[in-house]
Amino acid sequence: MNLCLAMQTAQAVSPDINFALIMPELLVSVAGVLVMLVDAFTRRSNQRWVTGLLSLVGLGAAAAVCVLMWDDQTTAREAFNGMIVLDRMRLSFTLVFLVVSALTVLISMIWVEWEHLPAGEFHSLLLFATVGMMFMASGGDLVIIFLGLELLSIATYVMAGFRRTDLRSNESSMKYFILGAFSSAFLLYGIALVYGGTSLLNGGAGTTNIKELALRVGAENALAYPALLYAGAALMLVGFGFKIATAPFHVWTPDVYEGAPTPVTAFMAAGPKASGFAAFMRVFLFGFPFIAATTNAAQLHSAWLNALWLLAILTMSVGNLAALVQNNVKRMLAYSSIAHAGYALVGFVAAGQARDETLQSDAIAAVAFYLLAYAVMNLGAFAVVTLIARSGDRRTEIEDYNGIGFTAPALSFALTLFLLSLLGIPLTAGFMGKVMVFRAALDQGFVGLVVIGVLNTAISVYYYLRLIVVMFFRERSTAWSAPAVPVSVALAIIITVLGVFYLGIFPGQVLDAFRSAQPVVSQLK
Amino acid sequence: MLQRSLLTILVLLPVVGAIAAVAYGMAAHRGEPAAKWIALGFSTATFALSLMLLTGGGYADSAAFRFEQNVPWIGAIGARYHVGVDGISLWLVILTTLLVPISIVSSWHAVEKRPLAFYAFILLLESAMIGVFVSLDLLVFYLFFEASLVPMFFLIGVWGGERRIYAAAKFFIFTAVGSLLMLVGIIALYYIHLRQAGFGTFDYTTLLASLRSSQMVLGSDAQFWLFLAFAIAFAIKVPLFPFHTWLPDAHTEAPTAGSVILAGVLLKMGTYGLMRFNLALFPDASRYFAWVMITLAVVGIIYGALVAMVQPDVKRLVAYSSVSHMGFVVLGLFSFTEQGMQGSLYQMLNHGVSTGALFLLVGMIYERRHTRLISEFGGLAKPMPWFATLFVFASLSSVGLPILNGFIGEFLIMLGMWTSPALSQTWARVATMLAATGVIWAAVYMLWMLQRVLFGRVKNEKNKRLTDLNWREMGLLLPLLALMIYMGVYPRPFLNRSRAAVELVRSRVVATEGGGVIAER
Repeated sequence: MNLCLAMQTAQAVSPDINFALIMPELLVSVAGVLVMLVDAFTRRSNQRWVTGLLSLVGLGAAAAVCVLMWDDQTTAREAFNGMIVLDRMRLSFTLVFLVVSALTVLISMIWVEWEHLPAGEFHSLLLFATVGMMFMASGGDLVIIFLGLELLSIATYVMAGFRRTDLRSNESSMKYFILGAFSSAFLLYGIALVYGGTSLLNGGAGTTNIKELALRVGAENALAYPALLYAGAALMLVGFGFKIATAPFHVWTPDVYEGAPTPVTAFMAAGPKASGFAAFMRVFLFGFPFIAATTNAAQLHSAWLNALWLLAILTMSVGNLAALVQNNVKRMLAYSSIAHAGYALVGFVAAGQARDETLQSDAIAAVAFYLLAYAVMNLGAFAVVTLIARSGDRRTEIEDYNGIGFTAPALSFALTLFLLSLLGIPLTAGFMGKVMVFRAALDQGFVGLVVIGVLNTAISVYYYLRLIVVMFFRERSTAWSAPAVPVSVALAIIITVLGVFYLGIFPGQVLDAFRSAQPVVSQLK
Repeated sequence: MLQRSLLTILVLLPVVGAIAAVAYGMAAHRGEPAAKWIALGFSTATFALSLMLLTGGGYADSAAFRFEQNVPWIGAIGARYHVGVDGISLWLVILTTLLVPISIVSSWHAVEKRPLAFYAFILLLESAMIGVFVSLDLLVFYLFFEASLVPMFFLIGVWGGERRIYAAAKFFIFTAVGSLLMLVGIIALYYIHLRQAGFGTFDYTTLLASLRSSQMVLGSDAQFWLFLAFAIAFAIKVPLFPFHTWLPDAHTEAPTAGSVILAGVLLKMGTYGLMRFNLALFPDASRYFAWVMITLAVVGIIYGALVAMVQPDVKRLVAYSSVSHMGFVVLGLFSFTEQGMQGSLYQMLNHGVSTGALFLLVGMIYERRHTRLISEFGGLAKPMPWFATLFVFASLSSVGLPILNGFIGEFLIMLGMWTSPALSQTWARVATMLAATGVIWAAVYMLWMLQRVLFGRVKNEKNKRLTDLNWREMGLLLPLLALMIYMGVYPRPFLNRSRAAVELVRSRVVATEGGGVIAER
């Protein structure tokens, strides 16, 4: 009763507006609007540089604010009546998104030129997508998360179909749109059912606030435990599963990734996936937590955790096995992105199982680190793939890489490094990422899950190696000249190469920053 | 200062050399020929520096690690950068730094395709190999262990023979896959230590200390699985029968320098790992699995020798002889006696020197004739007397002729196995006798090969005008030949320095409460 009363009074007060807490989001939004404005007043020849630079400045400013908030932030905070939360988890993920977007701006520069695309539109769409991702990480309420997701999705649908004259791009966009809308519906339906379920729990109004949700779910005086909650959680699981492309909800991924322009594919594989994880983890870890005192909550918890465990195994295995037989590099990387979502899920499962707050935040940090590492190496790989594909994405078959190794040594060795990192060879970011998530899972006793993950890594050796073999060990029979490397892409490749080594050799700093994440959670016993 | 960071310098110097070679080659545009000079310079400097390890002193008296450097690496997971050498790793490091400059010189004229990348990869490989032998943190060890694959993969794949792609891929997949489970084992050890001793660690010395003081007790189940996770990774590397199938392909297709390093050093990573980690950390499981390992080793000795006998290709013959010789090394390790284990370590060095020399010789004849088929040769002793002399020399060392190095190692191993507590007396003797036949087989296949290649009449016209070894080639082989004699006549300086460290490992395996090792079975 107390609880209900407290909630009703909370609803009555005016919202606690705190713009400082959404400063990064605001900055990126403003940058997005500015890009649109400036674009209209700039000469066509300068457009991509001006808007690109402006986007980078916006993203950089947001990152700077994030870092400031990091230093400032000792305890988790909330604003807008719990709609927005500020904790390490949010900041870690926000930083991942900003890195992804900034690298995408750099990589796409050459592509925008090749295709004579309106640079301003592309950059503003990218920025709005970034805002969407950031809200998915900062939302403390299912509604905000959904809004962020839609903002992200709509911008990405357009970006996938940005090459209007290309049928493949159109197909990709259409498929992404239909399946994306479908999965959003799942998610929204799930949210609605959860809202209904929470209202049934104690007879008052329902809630979409994640913190509140945990309180209701774990309330000991719950009369009957409504099946609605189970159904809602299941639907949300499917919705998020679609967004981060877990098997069996992954079927759209290869087609969409293959058809979309390569820089957009790079963005989609790294950014939206990470944001999906951020929201997925926040909703399930903190919305449906394990509460020992309440059998019902514990049952709900173990239900979603078991489902997730299964999803992790399926996702890793399906992604890796399917990648084995691909002959198109983009498709191969698409399946590999599915597999990597599976590895990250291993860390998620560990976080779900963790009873201890420190261990849980360690596991969350491991997942965030994994996604950062994945973003860096994947964007690097796609930067090279973009260059080699040339305008119109013509050369993306594995055969197109035949014997280019020593003709374009810098590009090929960079791509080799990214592939080895995706494979998880030591000294690279990918290895550290895997160590972190597997470590978290082993700590929670998921030996079987880790062994399956390791066996999957063994499978993946084959297809990553295949591309290296093709590049270096085969001779080229047809003429091929190395593509010119424009400054922006060179910058992106240098940053990602350094990033792969930095995260692989000195991961401590980033890990420490990501850890000790004190998330915004309800105080439960 | 130097005392503390010598090992780090040894690990990093080749990397610096690789970077310097690439930077110079790219800047000068036509600087590719300079790459070999840079590579040679850096690897020789590394060798010279590695000799300073001998000045550490007192290896004979204590098994403690020297030249230690121990700094935090990843605070979040308690991984430390911890390196050090003891009497075991000391010799393996020096073997590595010795063989690398030799293999660089051996490629002087043989490698014309992309020399810059070739030498850069060799230097990177050297760095990883040194790293493997000196790291005392399991995570760092794993890191170097895996990192050594990549340069070797490129060496075989780009500069190898006809079936290089198949061989390179097989090499990489076999060894990478094998070691993945070891990573799980390493992380598991971390958590076992965390649960029992209160803090997690990857540090070898800490783990060992906790085990010895019973702060951490590994149950038999845990040991069983951990032993398997580590042993499979190492058995593939050694390679122990039946995991050996990657080896003949990789050795045969690799360029000469690659084969020398592969046989000379890379295989030792496996036996080194078995000795350092399996025996010392999981003694109960080591005893439990001893009969399996001994059986596989004996099978490997005989099988390797028999298969070597029927090879039509000289290089493949030497490759299969490695399977046989490495079987001896594993046999010695699992004899759990001082002679056996010392012999085992000694045999690792012998095999590096002898097989390294054999691969160099095979490479020299291949450069001249572009074939390695025994049937193509015959009577080479006539046009190439020096070549023939040295080839006979190296072969005899590999066979294990007394006063040459191979004899000491194999003799000690068999001596140790005869009295081994790992098996019952009868079976220990049976194993020894079976292994001893391996020595006979070795004489058969080596001498028969020598007879067909070197002696008799010169049948093939092409062989008549072959030039004998030049000064560069002689210079390459002479240090190895000198070592063969020295190690065969005066093994004391080697065995003395390794005794304490080997004894420490041995004491872990044999000392258990309840006394009898044999009683366990």
